[in-house]
Amino acid sequence: MPTVLSPVTGTVWKLGVSVGDDVREGDELMVLESMKMEIPVEADDDGQVTAILCREGQSIAEGQPLVELGSVPRER
Amino acid sequence: MPEEGFTWERALGELERRARAARELGGVERIERRRAQGFGTVRERIARVTDRFYEVGEFAKFVERDADGRPLVELPSSYVCGLGEVDGRPVAVGGDDFTVRGGLPQGGYLDRRKGGMGGFVEDLAHEYRIPLLLFMDGTGGDVGAIDDKGHAYLVSSMSWRRCFEVMSEVPVLTAVLGAAAGGSGGRAVVSHFSVISRGSVLFAGGPPVVKRSLGIDIDKHQLGGAEMHTSVSGSIDNLAEDEDDAIAQMKRFLSFMPQNVWEMPPRGPRDDPPERREQALLEIVPENRRRPYKMRKIIHAIVDRGSFFEIGAGWGRAVISGLARMDGIPVGILANDPMVLAGALDGDAADKQVRFVDLCSTFHLPIVYFVDVPGFMVGPDAERGNVLRKGMRAIQALIEADVPVITVHVRRAFGMAVSATADPDALGLRIAWPSAEWGDMPIEGGVDAAFRREIEAAEDPAAFRREAEQRLLAAADPWKTVEAFGIESMIDPRDTRPTLCAFLNASLNSLTTHLGPPRKQWTMRP
Repeated sequence: MPTVLSPVTGTVWKLGVSVGDDVREGDELMVLESMKMEIPVEADDDGQVTAILCREGQSIAEGQPLVELGSVPRER
Repeated sequence: MPEEGFTWERALGELERRARAARELGGVERIERRRAQGFGTVRERIARVTDRFYEVGEFAKFVERDADGRPLVELPSSYVCGLGEVDGRPVAVGGDDFTVRGGLPQGGYLDRRKGGMGGFVEDLAHEYRIPLLLFMDGTGGDVGAIDDKGHAYLVSSMSWRRCFEVMSEVPVLTAVLGAAAGGSGGRAVVSHFSVISRGSVLFAGGPPVVKRSLGIDIDKHQLGGAEMHTSVSGSIDNLAEDEDDAIAQMKRFLSFMPQNVWEMPPRGPRDDPPERREQALLEIVPENRRRPYKMRKIIHAIVDRGSFFEIGAGWGRAVISGLARMDGIPVGILANDPMVLAGALDGDAADKQVRFVDLCSTFHLPIVYFVDVPGFMVGPDAERGNVLRKGMRAIQALIEADVPVITVHVRRAFGMAVSATADPDALGLRIAWPSAEWGDMPIEGGVDAAFRREIEAAEDPAAFRREAEQRLLAAADPWKTVEAFGIESMIDPRDTRPTLCAFLNASLNSLTTHLGPPRKQWTMRP
């Protein structure tokens, strides 16, 4: 289950997805706040949000897991 | 039977036989063992980087003798060097041969060193004023030297002088392919450009030495691996995927450099129109001021297409440094990276910048600085990282650079870090984009600090803060600074390339008339 890790140390500002959402590569999952900047966190692959491991307002460290993405079952 | 004596046939036969022996290096077994680990031989590396190679000292030998002086082991010497040609340019090139006693330093067994820690190949670069390319793959020190000499050798009897001297004379490029320990490792970092391939290692002392000194067991890759040295320590500039990539990077770096400091860097092809206006430049900086963007996209859009060669990408990442061409002119590019620490200048970024500015200054490459910096980095990690001293050195290096610096203000420019982006005592040409903003401190943070008592005492603190911010923002309108000629120029971002090309072309008149060693007064780095 690929886990999306935080690229910076900062705070979770705005969550953009919920558990169960389908996402494509490049979709914005959430926005973090760090050093007065809004840092977008993007999905690096297609998938489905299976778990959100943080909440808005929470302080997070660089490398901390934020979201779990499961692979989308493909239509054959 | 003709008696033994000189004949040309015999002499040439002897030459041929010895040449064949020299090519065997440390023997097939040792060569294959290293190949299995992904490492080539020193002769292969030299052959791959040069178009032609005239070897010097190929018949030098390492001979181990028994108590009666009879040879036990006879191998070619542990270093291969000579005069090479890279893309038509003469260079001095040499490398350790790991298959001969781990690249044993030759000072212990030869009358004259061939290379590695000074030696013939460095003297060649110095005297002919040609670039020096060195391949590091050796252990750099051996207690066995006592046997060779019959006494303990005081290391301070060995001269490093030439290694440092050539740093002010010719481009010095080093590649760590394999293992570079001790003296070999030390030689690797005294260069203008260094590269290490994945799987190679560099350390002051290897795992056995670490075990003896600190009592810890550590794997050699954990201790001094390629990834670590290009992202944590910054000891080596660039990481290469493999030996071919390392050699390609060396050639690429060299293509921006003159043969020596008395010459201009070679101008490249002028097939990318200087008037090219990139619409994409309006789309990179987000209108939302709090969103970061990829500064490298801006660099790529402005320099000659495909010409940007980044140096030190993995380390000191708050600043981007690299070489590029503008209308064929080799230039040094510096840029803050808003994706890393919001572009704030921390100790590592400052160190990276200092070394890069010194490089450009030495070899006459004008510098273009794309600015988006909120200040020196703050916080306990930054303070413990000596950010003030390192930041001040970055300022010093920039103002003492012997080359023109052109500054492009992309977005933010606050605090002392801005002093490291332009020199007010030189021409100090600063060109702003409409997205640019500057000041001592960003307004939003500054209001709370400057008006804390008034805000607390106000009936409506939020309204007071808003009003104070608006008033200051109006005064901080960049156009007001432009009107006061507090900054030299404001342009449409799409005009950046044409503007820079025009000024860089003009700056050649300065560079061509200021060749040789630096002329500016150099002050001791604090």
